[in-house]
Amino acid sequence: MSWEFLAAQFAAQFGLWWIIWAGILLGIVVGILPGFSPQNTLIMLLPLTLGIPVDQAFAFMVSLYCANHLAGGVPAILVKIPGSGGAAATTLDGYPMTQKGQAQQAIVLSFTASVFGGLITTLATLALLPWLSQIGLYLRSVEMVVVMLFGLTLIAVIAAKDTLKGLISGLFGLLIGVIGTDHIYNAPRATFGFLELYDGVPLVAALIGLFAVSEALVMIEEKLIVGKEGRERATRASWADTLDGLRLTAQKWWHIVWTSFVGLFIGIVPGAGASIAAFVAYQQSRMWSKHPERYGTGVPEGVIAPEAANNGVTSGTLVPTLALGVPGGSTAAVMMIVLQYHGMVMGPRLFTTNPELAYGVFVAMAVAYIFMIFTILPLARYMARIVLIETTYLVPVIVLVTVVAAFVERQYVFDMALALVFGVIGYIAHKTNYHVTAMLIGIILGPLFEQYLARALRISQGDLSVLFSSTLGNILWAFLVLSLVLPALKSRLRKSR
Amino acid sequence: MPPKAPLGADLVIPVLALGFAIYFFWSIADLVWEAKANGVVIGAVLVGLVVLQLARIAADVAKGRGDLRADPLWRPWDTFAKRLGMVLVTVAFIALLETLGLTLSLLLAMAVALAIMGVRKPWTVAWISVAVAAAAYLLFIAVLDSAFPHGPIEKLFS
Repeated sequence: MSWEFLAAQFAAQFGLWWIIWAGILLGIVVGILPGFSPQNTLIMLLPLTLGIPVDQAFAFMVSLYCANHLAGGVPAILVKIPGSGGAAATTLDGYPMTQKGQAQQAIVLSFTASVFGGLITTLATLALLPWLSQIGLYLRSVEMVVVMLFGLTLIAVIAAKDTLKGLISGLFGLLIGVIGTDHIYNAPRATFGFLELYDGVPLVAALIGLFAVSEALVMIEEKLIVGKEGRERATRASWADTLDGLRLTAQKWWHIVWTSFVGLFIGIVPGAGASIAAFVAYQQSRMWSKHPERYGTGVPEGVIAPEAANNGVTSGTLVPTLALGVPGGSTAAVMMIVLQYHGMVMGPRLFTTNPELAYGVFVAMAVAYIFMIFTILPLARYMARIVLIETTYLVPVIVLVTVVAAFVERQYVFDMALALVFGVIGYIAHKTNYHVTAMLIGIILGPLFEQYLARALRISQGDLSVLFSSTLGNILWAFLVLSLVLPALKSRLRKSR
Repeated sequence: MPPKAPLGADLVIPVLALGFAIYFFWSIADLVWEAKANGVVIGAVLVGLVVLQLARIAADVAKGRGDLRADPLWRPWDTFAKRLGMVLVTVAFIALLETLGLTLSLLLAMAVALAIMGVRKPWTVAWISVAVAAAAYLLFIAVLDSAFPHGPIEKLFS
């Protein structure tokens, strides 16, 4: 790949500005609304993407996908309702920043971390694509089982104040995620007799219930989301706060760089996705911080890490899709369908037979990120105003509108009722410090975990010792145990001092 | 002497998890091992963790550090009625959806929910409810053509 080729690609993608902008605007809208996932939106728009030339279709799809990841952080910061699973970790410090009256700074940090994180990893992917595409080959079913357990353990340890409660929440979520028919024999399990649960628990209903409905039920207790001091700061909010957010971004530039690479590497692993990446980045950020005890109280690094990582995932997830023909996630799978419809064959040969498209995808992503910062940054000031609306009006809108949104994924009224059930469970969990985030990530990982565990156990004829049969897997097991033991040891050491 | 912690509330999630794990084990009892391996592995670890948590709560109660009150779930009392009202309105909204359609049922549910939350000005209740219902109609029925049940309003505009 020469510099001339790259320059020509950038020029070509800038020429597609109109379709990139359309993708960005739609991506922002569906990212902010819980219930609208990028893959569902792309499925609904298949008649459009199949009908236009493939380069335009791909530019539109990647712009929508990247903007969706960026916008998911907005409701996570403002009302503690992540627009998608990948933004769940952003609630941990984003919402406390809002409560302190720093909503605008938090939104600006989220935008800049997303854009620069996404841009850096996209450019790195362009440079390192042949090598990055090999990473996925080292992770087989055994390692994937441990990766998922590791991710869930990290979430339980970092998100919950009480590790045992965090683990119970995570495992409870993982078991709920296994509801439905199994992958081999289609035998129904724990469906309570509902046909609607044969395909498993719908993720959007779980997300809406555990975050939106439960949070709204807690929100009733206060007149405003923010306290008195926070309200005064939000009322006085001006462009100076946007500039303050940019100043914080410049201060923490290195944080954006390295946490976005965490997202890139996790994104390359098929199936791991933005939810795990955001939490691993958050945990790493806290672990290497000089003041880990401040995490969870509204620190800028706590917003930067998950947002940079979940946008780092966007380029990572396309690496196995294009280089190996293995979709890195559900959105990548939809993109793959569009490419195959246009006669493209995925795999290593794509880079020699059609380099304009293979590299053009990542160039389109880089261009989309450049456009995004100018589109969304000026909106931060106005978005932050939502915290001044009284909960008297906010709660009915959140509860009823998000319950309606639960219908969208599968078009079942049943899913709306399920969202309410999850809302009540989430409310109880909120009130008793059983972390809903760990529960949600468990539900997201449940089906994938089952797929990889079933594969590993089939190879070993049901022998569980297969889970300890690979060197890489054993190293990951050691990390998992350390992540459980180290925090306990650290706190014991601190107490003894 | 410090006040006793209300540990009854802490029991709800573990008891739900335990009940669900037992139901899961029962539902997979007759299946082949490939179909139940995952549930058994996750369920067994979950049951172990729940037993640990129950033992911890029992120890705290025995040592007098807590009791089995569950009041954090409904406190503060002044907002309990609003919270319960919101849940009931949502149940009624879902139940009426098939008959009244999305737009009308959402409009009515929104109006009742605002009243429950303490909004007393009729015009405020009316314009917010109409705005939310109209936005839902435009997005889900007119633009996305979702399969929401159609009621009198949807039929009128179709």
